[in-house]
Amino acid sequence: MTAETIVQSLLSGLLTGLIYALIAVGLSLIFGLMDVVNFAHGEFLMAAMYATLGFTLVLAIDPIISAPLVAALLFVFGALVYVGIIRFAMRARTNVGMVQIFSTFGLAILMRGLAQFFFTPDYRSIQHAWTTGRTFSVGGVYLPAPQLVGALVSAAAFVGLFLLMRRTDFGKALEATREDAEAVALVGINRNRVFMLGWGLGSALIGLAGAAMAMFFYIYPDVGASFALIAYVTVALGGFGSVFGALAAGVIVGLVEAITAMLVPPSLKSVGIYAVYLAVVFFRPRGLFGSM
Amino acid sequence: MKISRRDVFIGGAASLAAVSACARAQRSQDIAIGALYPLSGASGASGVDARHALETAVDVINTSIDVDLPLAKSAGLAGFGGAKVTMVYADHQGDPQKGRAEAERLITQRNVAALIGVYFSSVAATVSQTAERYAIPFLAADSSSPSLHRRGLKFFFRPAAHDEMFSKVMFDFFDALNTKGAKIETLSLFHEDTIFGTDSANTQIKLADERGYKIATDIRYRANSPSLTAEVQQLKAADADVLMPSSYTTDSILLVKTMAELGYKPKAIIAQDAGFSESSFYDAVGDKVEGVISRASFSRDLAAKRPSVGKVNELFKARSGKDLNDATSREFMGLLILADGIDRAKSTDGEKIREALAATDVPGERTIMPWKQVKFDEAGQNNDADPVLVQYVRGRFVTIFPAEAATAEPIWPMNSSAPRT
Repeated sequence: MTAETIVQSLLSGLLTGLIYALIAVGLSLIFGLMDVVNFAHGEFLMAAMYATLGFTLVLAIDPIISAPLVAALLFVFGALVYVGIIRFAMRARTNVGMVQIFSTFGLAILMRGLAQFFFTPDYRSIQHAWTTGRTFSVGGVYLPAPQLVGALVSAAAFVGLFLLMRRTDFGKALEATREDAEAVALVGINRNRVFMLGWGLGSALIGLAGAAMAMFFYIYPDVGASFALIAYVTVALGGFGSVFGALAAGVIVGLVEAITAMLVPPSLKSVGIYAVYLAVVFFRPRGLFGSM
Repeated sequence: MKISRRDVFIGGAASLAAVSACARAQRSQDIAIGALYPLSGASGASGVDARHALETAVDVINTSIDVDLPLAKSAGLAGFGGAKVTMVYADHQGDPQKGRAEAERLITQRNVAALIGVYFSSVAATVSQTAERYAIPFLAADSSSPSLHRRGLKFFFRPAAHDEMFSKVMFDFFDALNTKGAKIETLSLFHEDTIFGTDSANTQIKLADERGYKIATDIRYRANSPSLTAEVQQLKAADADVLMPSSYTTDSILLVKTMAELGYKPKAIIAQDAGFSESSFYDAVGDKVEGVISRASFSRDLAAKRPSVGKVNELFKARSGKDLNDATSREFMGLLILADGIDRAKSTDGEKIREALAATDVPGERTIMPWKQVKFDEAGQNNDADPVLVQYVRGRFVTIFPAEAATAEPIWPMNSSAPRT
């Protein structure tokens, strides 16, 4: 194994890791806010990828430009899902957790079915984006433009999220609601409104991830499944509800995957991820940055 | 006259029996055949195409169409006085356990006369065992693992080639090129981790050993991987003379995209069909794989030698909007062979159909395939299903090997410019 291969593996792992982090952060945000795990997270990603594809096919808008539009669409969609489904699921008096799991799980199956019906199970991909086929080569190490742009979008999203959480009233309301949802109601913050905006924000982030993914991954109704699994382990590794835990854990997952594939046959590369997760659970069950 | 309770009971039972006999008689007008495919899930696209192919075959069987294929000229099955064939579909989603359960449901609840399917070899393994248990024939139209017909099953039939036959033609091709002065020495294998990829790679390793080719690297990866970057890096590092992938559609698309992103241009690709014969693969990445070679049991340029190909393709395209490909042609032909067996059996009894299928004798000219003939051996395998190699040149497939079936000279290595025609 040459130094070149090692550098290439680590860099690829880093880029992939940043994208994993962007996929996972929406899930973590929503969970941190209201203790609801969105089992339709992968399907939100799928919807975002189809939306990006739609913008390119119908309006000929490049994914880089349509990314904010897709994020806005997903914001509305996420808010509607809260208002139309989750709000009611949270009213259950017994087995609240189960009701929430099955309502988001049902939503996942519904979305997948609708996608199969309307878009057929065929594999699509975006043929003529600005990033298509571009790749930067530095001393034998290749950095494909789509992944590079995806990683930059992810980094920018995390910076934006950081500013939002620390510098704005909305961010403070979000933080306060997650600390104690009952108490914020007493100081006049509308809890339902914060939850709705939280779902919108979490979904907008997965919208960005979907737009970035659509630049280099194939699109089909089940595409969310394999990424959702990675998102769940990323959130668990970083600590449920911790936004910056998701960032760190995403990068760790990407790097561990790359390193495992260098050491053992690549078909076992996901074993490395789960081994690291189990080790973390052993020493720190709440996850690396979990605060509970 | 005194009517006892017993008389009422007997009378009731008799009339029930009469009603159910009528019902059965009515049902027997249609011959039901069960089809198991992945109609949803990661490979849903292949299953939906398969359904179009089978429906095209049902059209050919049930209406009178002027092509020289089994059951085409008559309307319906002559052996049953013109009864129609109907299909009962089940979705196994690529899961062997779902396949087993669905096969059982089709046999016990829908009373199908026979089963056809199933794309995934891993699912074919469980479905064929279930069929065997109920003594119902199973025809593997498009599942190609060699281990399938080596389990001593009596009710298993496969008219198409298996992966050993397919891999053999690849190595024959290497030998032929080498005698002409090409220097093919090293091979990279790239295969998914279910029975299809594993069997395919094992066969290729065995053949490489026997014929003196060196395996530069053998990469086994997890199907439907979110990323193949690490895998492609290893392929790039090995940089063998030929890359030999055994992959389904999703992974094939990702493989080609990742190779382009990491700047790896293999000297040649010879694929074990699957993803590399799907139109959605070429829609997605066709521009990146000019000159790719795949094994096949079908190519549309066969129309030059088999006149029925054009007509059947037209019928299929009207349904699906796509041209016939390697998988759909085998599904179409598989159902014709199966229905032909049922027709000759003149019965829906599993054992009788099995006997009729075992006696199948269809000459190659009466198929849409490049096969010599359809005749099953003891294990239910047709050994005369000669495979071909096809090359993707300027947006379409041409047959390049073996010489007797070829319509064009191979372009080797794949990136060299195409000869003007």
